Amino acid sequence: MLLLQYHNLLIQSILQERFAPDAQPTLIDQVISDFDNVTYHVSTPESKTKILISLSVKCYKDLEKYGVTALLQREYEEYAVAPEAGYDFSIQVDLENLPATAEEKETLILKIALLKRNAMAAPFEKAFAEFDRLAAEAAKNSLDLSVPEDSGSEVMAIHYREEESIYIRASHDRVTVIFSVLFREDTDRVFGKVFLQEFVDARRRSIQNAPQVLYSNKEPPLEIRNVPGVSVKDDISYVTFVLFPRHIARDRRENCISHIQIFRDYFHYHIKCSKAYMHSRMRFRVAEFLKVLNRAKPEVEEEKKTSSGRRYGTR
Amino acid sequence: MSHLSTPAVVMGIGTGLTKLGFAGNDSPSFIFPTAISTRNTGAASGRPPTAAKPSFLSGPGANSSSSGGNLASKRGTEDLDFFIGQEAIDVSNTPGYGLNYPIRHGQIENWDLMERFWENSIFKYLRCEPEDHYFLLTEPPLNPPENREMTAEIMFETFNCAGLYIAVQAVLALAASWTSSKVQDRSLTGTVIDSGDGVTHVIPVAEGYVIASAIKNIPIAGRDITYFVQSLLRDRNEKDSSLRTAEKIKEEYCYVCPDIVKEFNRFDREPERFQKYLVDQGLGRKVTVDVGYERFLAPEIFFNPEIASSDFLTPLPEVVDTVIQNSPIDVRRGLYKNIVLSGGSTMFRDFGRRLQRDIKHIVDARIHKSEERSGARSGGLDVQVISHKKQRNAVWFGGSLLAQTAEFKGYCHTKKDYDEMGPGIVRQFSLFNVP
Repeated sequence: MLLLQYHNLLIQSILQERFAPDAQPTLIDQVISDFDNVTYHVSTPESKTKILISLSVKCYKDLEKYGVTALLQREYEEYAVAPEAGYDFSIQVDLENLPATAEEKETLILKIALLKRNAMAAPFEKAFAEFDRLAAEAAKNSLDLSVPEDSGSEVMAIHYREEESIYIRASHDRVTVIFSVLFREDTDRVFGKVFLQEFVDARRRSIQNAPQVLYSNKEPPLEIRNVPGVSVKDDISYVTFVLFPRHIARDRRENCISHIQIFRDYFHYHIKCSKAYMHSRMRFRVAEFLKVLNRAKPEVEEEKKTSSGRRYGTR
Repeated sequence: MSHLSTPAVVMGIGTGLTKLGFAGNDSPSFIFPTAISTRNTGAASGRPPTAAKPSFLSGPGANSSSSGGNLASKRGTEDLDFFIGQEAIDVSNTPGYGLNYPIRHGQIENWDLMERFWENSIFKYLRCEPEDHYFLLTEPPLNPPENREMTAEIMFETFNCAGLYIAVQAVLALAASWTSSKVQDRSLTGTVIDSGDGVTHVIPVAEGYVIASAIKNIPIAGRDITYFVQSLLRDRNEKDSSLRTAEKIKEEYCYVCPDIVKEFNRFDREPERFQKYLVDQGLGRKVTVDVGYERFLAPEIFFNPEIASSDFLTPLPEVVDTVIQNSPIDVRRGLYKNIVLSGGSTMFRDFGRRLQRDIKHIVDARIHKSEERSGARSGGLDVQVISHKKQRNAVWFGGSLLAQTAEFKGYCHTKKDYDEMGPGIVRQFSLFNVP
């Protein structure tokens, strides 16, 4: 598994099971966790045929500022209900009132499983809309597109984890996405640096079309230096993705949002995978060394005895 | 801290099935076979392939310089090319993949595969950042402490998990029985009968500690019952005697009877006890299979093993009695009073009742004998077998129950403790204080 999936597998499998034509309605009451402090609660509070799926996101307050409510309303219009206590957003699916064909059901399941992704997409969509506006304005004023210009657009900050945040800023020729990355572990930091360096180098070497990636240690990049709450700490680094117009062309936007918002988890997943890989190499090496050591053992001299237990030879 | 609110992850990884889920839920979120399919590399020695940068990173210029040429440039992510669980079994038929079972007899055999198995189960199935979650893992009784240490090393060093608790399966099964209405005091003393697919264990537990010297295993479990049902179907020349049909019949129709002879007579008197099972063989073919005496004969092999096997002949009640008699004398009363069932093969109707009756017979006979010899009156002995609704996933459920308590995090070893003390700390876990 090279890439992480964007949807929640568990929600998908629960719904697939429930939506199957010959499924018996049963009680469900499951708390499900997802990356970045996202919690779902899948339950059947009223009757066995009505499944309530609630979402709780740690940074929902931030997302609200950037229009998550409208977005989720748009996506889950007919299913949205008043949020369950303690959760931020809820949808309810009535098993007796499902779309008819299997494909439609499949689409609905996937849509629900993508709840977290869609919630997190709000600021990105807003940034892309802002970019459209600025780009149109710039075209009207016949500004040279290649000249970077400091637009006064706001930096959107999403504090999606305890100590880590995403910052998004749109300007007329690009959208900048900055992740603050913090490692609790020294080993992870070393691995992380190698990975980030690869990200930076990849563009230089072969894939010129990739978004530009910059990374800086300790120092926050210029774009977000003025944002309140940006901390200057020793163990924090900043990863900047610069999305150019070709990355956020209309038909690629959705994909782009999915890719970029899972960056942190992808990054940490691969750090862990490479550690596991290193461990397997180490184990292999130890086994090889042990073989060598075993070969180097001096042979044990066996004492020769007669059947009655007497020893041969002189003492 | 962020991980105060996140539910703990409960992972019960057994020989046959892995059960994953979050604490507080009443059933595991995922149940799949403990299998992993990896890409077969040419070298059979098991040497991990040398890592090179993926081709897109090293660029076209770098290709010629690397000695392996084209082949080497393709390497680099083979260690991520694997599947676990049901997917592993599905993919194992395609060429290039080999199926492996990293756990044998409840114990982890291949740590490389296990590490990757965990990797995938955490990130793909549970979708959680291990740094934010506490973990509760289960281990079989008699697991060597070295294995615990190894597990802790992987969980803490590879995954940086926030905290770890490793619990013995039998103890969790005892905790799961607290949901039964028969249990008045929540004690961690009792005898656990854990019968899964491969083997049945009888494990005495005193105050949360397993009495290792008294554990007994019985080589009769779910699979043997299925085979027995299958052989009966074959003897009768049923139209469908596949293993799957036998398994379905076992799960849906079998029950434990109080007395075989009477049950045979009852079957002859009441023909409606014979039932029919409709098998869907796929492609629209449907056949009916008669279900007869195997309804009560199949689970009977626990109580009269001689009807199915020729090398193991001790009935289960006798084994339980021996196990308790082998335990220290001061806990025996507690062990008799709290016999807890766990695992899928204990789910037969009236299994608990029959077991209780048979053990009671043995105990009463012994007490009677000793009364005769000594002339003194005995106060009698309570035998109680507890069956409950969560039996099938009892171990996982017990884990979920304990891990959702507020105190759970206090019992865990945290990443900080590990960094301070090293893997040796997991040799000791403080037991859950019984509320």
